[in-house]
Amino acid sequence: MRVSEKKTVIETKALTRIYSLGDSEVIGISSINLEIAARELVVLKGNSGSGKSTLLSLLSGLDRPTSGELKVAGHDLIKAPEEQLTRFRREVVGMVFQNFNLLPTLSVLENVCLPALLAGGWPEKIEPKAIDLLQWLGLGDRMAHQPAQLSGGEMQRTAIARALINDPAIILADEPTGNLDSRNGQLVIQLLAELHRTRERTVIIATHSNLADAFATMEICLKDGMITDTTCEV
Amino acid sequence: MRSLVFFLRLFSWFSLRHIGKHWFQAMLVLFGIALGAAVFTSVRLSVHASLRSFTSSMNHIAGRTEKVLARPGGFLPESLVSAIINHPSVRNASPMLSGYVQHFGADKEPFLLIGIDPILDRPFRSWQIAKGKPRKVGMWLDLLKEPYTLILGGALARQYGYAPGEKIKLEHSRQTVDFRIVGVLAPENLALAEGGRLALTDIATFQEFTGLYGKIDRIDLRLQPEQTAENFQNIVSTLPPGVIMSSPSERRESGQAMIRAYQLNLSILSFASLFVGMFLVYSLVALNAASRRHELAILRSTGASARLLFLIFLAQGTVFGLAGWLLAIPISSFLIKYLLHGVSQTISTLFVRVTVEQLSLNSWEIFLSFMVTIFISVLAAYLPAREAMQVSPKEALSIAEHSEQADKPTLRLAGLGIFFIVLVWPLSKLPGYAGVPLPGYIATLLLFTGFAMLSPWILEQLGKALAPKLRRLGGMPAYLAGRYIRGSGNRTAISVGALITAVALFVSLVIMIHSFRQTVQLWAYQTVSGDLFATTKMGEVNQFRYPLSPEVIRTLTTLDAPVDLVPNRRYFLNYGKFPYEFELLDVVTFLRYGSYVWLKGPSETAIHRLISGDGVIVSEVFSNRTGLTVGDLFRAQIETSLVELPILGVVRDYRTQGGVVFYAMPHFKRRFHDPKWGGVRFFLRNRNQNLDAAVVSLRREIIEKCGDQLGMISGKELRQSILKVFDETFAITTILLFIAFVIAALGITTTLAVLVLERTSQLNTLYAVGASFGQIRRMIFWESILMVIAGETAGFLCGLILSYLLVFVINRQSFGWTFLYGLDLKALVFSLPLIILTALMAALPAIRLVFRQPPAMLLRER
Repeated sequence: MRVSEKKTVIETKALTRIYSLGDSEVIGISSINLEIAARELVVLKGNSGSGKSTLLSLLSGLDRPTSGELKVAGHDLIKAPEEQLTRFRREVVGMVFQNFNLLPTLSVLENVCLPALLAGGWPEKIEPKAIDLLQWLGLGDRMAHQPAQLSGGEMQRTAIARALINDPAIILADEPTGNLDSRNGQLVIQLLAELHRTRERTVIIATHSNLADAFATMEICLKDGMITDTTCEV
Repeated sequence: MRSLVFFLRLFSWFSLRHIGKHWFQAMLVLFGIALGAAVFTSVRLSVHASLRSFTSSMNHIAGRTEKVLARPGGFLPESLVSAIINHPSVRNASPMLSGYVQHFGADKEPFLLIGIDPILDRPFRSWQIAKGKPRKVGMWLDLLKEPYTLILGGALARQYGYAPGEKIKLEHSRQTVDFRIVGVLAPENLALAEGGRLALTDIATFQEFTGLYGKIDRIDLRLQPEQTAENFQNIVSTLPPGVIMSSPSERRESGQAMIRAYQLNLSILSFASLFVGMFLVYSLVALNAASRRHELAILRSTGASARLLFLIFLAQGTVFGLAGWLLAIPISSFLIKYLLHGVSQTISTLFVRVTVEQLSLNSWEIFLSFMVTIFISVLAAYLPAREAMQVSPKEALSIAEHSEQADKPTLRLAGLGIFFIVLVWPLSKLPGYAGVPLPGYIATLLLFTGFAMLSPWILEQLGKALAPKLRRLGGMPAYLAGRYIRGSGNRTAISVGALITAVALFVSLVIMIHSFRQTVQLWAYQTVSGDLFATTKMGEVNQFRYPLSPEVIRTLTTLDAPVDLVPNRRYFLNYGKFPYEFELLDVVTFLRYGSYVWLKGPSETAIHRLISGDGVIVSEVFSNRTGLTVGDLFRAQIETSLVELPILGVVRDYRTQGGVVFYAMPHFKRRFHDPKWGGVRFFLRNRNQNLDAAVVSLRREIIEKCGDQLGMISGKELRQSILKVFDETFAITTILLFIAFVIAALGITTTLAVLVLERTSQLNTLYAVGASFGQIRRMIFWESILMVIAGETAGFLCGLILSYLLVFVINRQSFGWTFLYGLDLKALVFSLPLIILTALMAALPAIRLVFRQPPAMLLRER
């Protein structure tokens, strides 16, 4: 799914997520008001526990807010039934995780094909696309390997390929460099920036590091679950 | 001491809290182990109660007897008592007669009546009359002074509500007589034999009651101290022909051997439940070791030794064993209520008469069940503990998850598994040791282990072969399930191994029971043929020791009904310590209507020679247990005759109290002595009439002419009762099998639950990349389908091999018999899909566990 230029792709109003932990409650994020236009590269910053991951989980449809409004690419994620959320995750967003989260029993190529296959796509059509993506990411010779046989950088590039297989409008990356050395970390950020630049995707990167700063078109700082106007100090 | 306290504290922090957090899986495992331990304990205790009752009965009856004089299959002349009592080597001698009688009019449960000389018997057995009113010194002397008096056992007095002074009417095959009750036995020593269901009378009264004038069963002896072999020989040389001197322990030992063989078989079967439970412990401890690698690495990096981690995981197994065993106590107390009665009844029907009134908690049996439960639990935890101790402290520095998907040596394991399975064949050819089918049991263990070792390879191949097809059949969820199963390694394989064990047990027992039943049915219709069987009243329980009277025989041979008679006489004897029956019958008439199920020997020639009285034919059990076969010489002392005859053939026979030797009755009479008729079977000459009605009419005619002197049963009823006994015997087996299945189903639940929890992150990833809840649940369901298919297919194959072992090796080595092998296709076709359904139902709790942790957990900062 492609989103037309200049259009607001993400819109939140008073978005709040409160977790219940036994008798006590923990505020994940509180009253977040946000508008993100298509083709932005947003760097989401904040210390541990600031609410970055909570915000990403809401934007990706992995979790539902406690209150507020949330629209992503025209989908009202507050009211969306479970089936619509599943479709949303398949078609609208692509996720990249800190721990790569590749399925260990599948090969690199199979991991990349997985979201498209889950969406009901034909393997004959999906595989050439996955091969193209892997070759573009420099993993052409690793397609038959198991995740356990890859380096950290290779695993994260595989995860990026997987995030792209369904051609999503938005890429959400949660600490994508957190488990990588600086060289591989830089490479991954460059790839995400290239996606934003050449493939016209909206990319949101939650990170502690400054690696993505140079490519960011927008920076959001979170502190104690709220957006802060002051400069981020991570 | 300090290090022990530290270990316990660390164990509590690290393991117990974790177990508490995952209490559902822990409870499933505990329940599985508890069920296994409960079955094992209850079976052992139930059989032990019967064994104890039998041994104590035999000991109380034997008293202080050192040697016994008896004539195999017959009686001794009473005159021998006075001769032997004066022998210089003999200190005391006491004659005895015993037999089963029944209370007239009340329930027909026979009880033991013992005839003794109250004075001569004093040095041998202790018994006394219970205190009560009226009580006077020397009440027991009334036995001598007054005919038809007796002292009643406590259990009988309570059951029938009799008190001293009252009269009790007793029935024997010869007559029904009123006895005056002199007193009730105090509950000690002899009074405890037969569970108190016995009565004492004077030997002269017994002889008059049964018509055994001048005859006695046996003479019990106490010898002068320090007797030499020469003295023994001297006593033996003074005995009349056919009288033998033996130890009172011989009969007890032969009965004990039969009960112990039964106990061993039931123990092995009940151990299967514990064996399946072992897979549960392995499954959960292995999960803990695998899913907590990072924590283990942290422990190692903070100074814990590899040995400490090993011990922590071994302690987990111990805790499961200990808690499971404790939980087994209430389950056992419920199970034992059923088993105690069922087992003692089965032993009484199949082997020796036992009366078990209450359970005796034997400390050795309890200790054994405790040790076996702990041992298998620790054994199950051993491999995961080894895995845990190999975790490197370096892993603590790594953030990425360590998966277990490295290359597994499945092929090497499968190779070893096949080697074990192949070993089963030569092992099955080895003979048992001392009546214990040790090679058979080792072969069974190797078979289970071999198939368990094959299961990772089977799953790998199943996943490889089916994954592409599964995509077409069940879409992506099925495909992913196939891919997961293919690389899931030992944990899934262990659960499949448990299922293989349960299915194999089921298939093999279904085949064995079916083969056994079919063969018994064939035997019953061929060899136990006859339209009506008549013998003296309580003939069977008294081992047909009281022959039919000449008047009865005369009546039976001159009946109006057109029938052929096959008279018989059955002697209950011992070949060494092995009990068997020597059956004489009119072979010529019998073979006109019935036949033998031949196993060995040229049947035509053998039948011809059997009819001519040239030799005997023996049952398979007799042949296997004594080692005698076709061509060997059968030798036995039977009443006054020493019988020496060649063995002409071996036939199938499923009488439970040992083996059988058949010989032609007319030739026995001619060559040895007149055996007298013990019973008769009638064959209706006209086979085209309504046989049931004709039997009723025949029975009516016999009752009209002979009165109530005979015990009769129609052939149809007898054959039905044989099959009923058969079905009741295997009821216990079926229950044990069912429990093994419940535990295997728990194994499926635990494994799948473990696999779901272990893969929380993977399942959440699937959700994040677009899988719906339904797709993920279907994937788990497909995984269980594949596991069940693998377990059931391999279990079926394993079961076929095991059924061969059961039919041709273990049964032969345990009981001496084999059966005609037959597949019960109907039962298998009906039940195997049911097992699949049950196993799939067991997957449901695991499916419910999916997403107990929200998918957003994936994004939580670590």
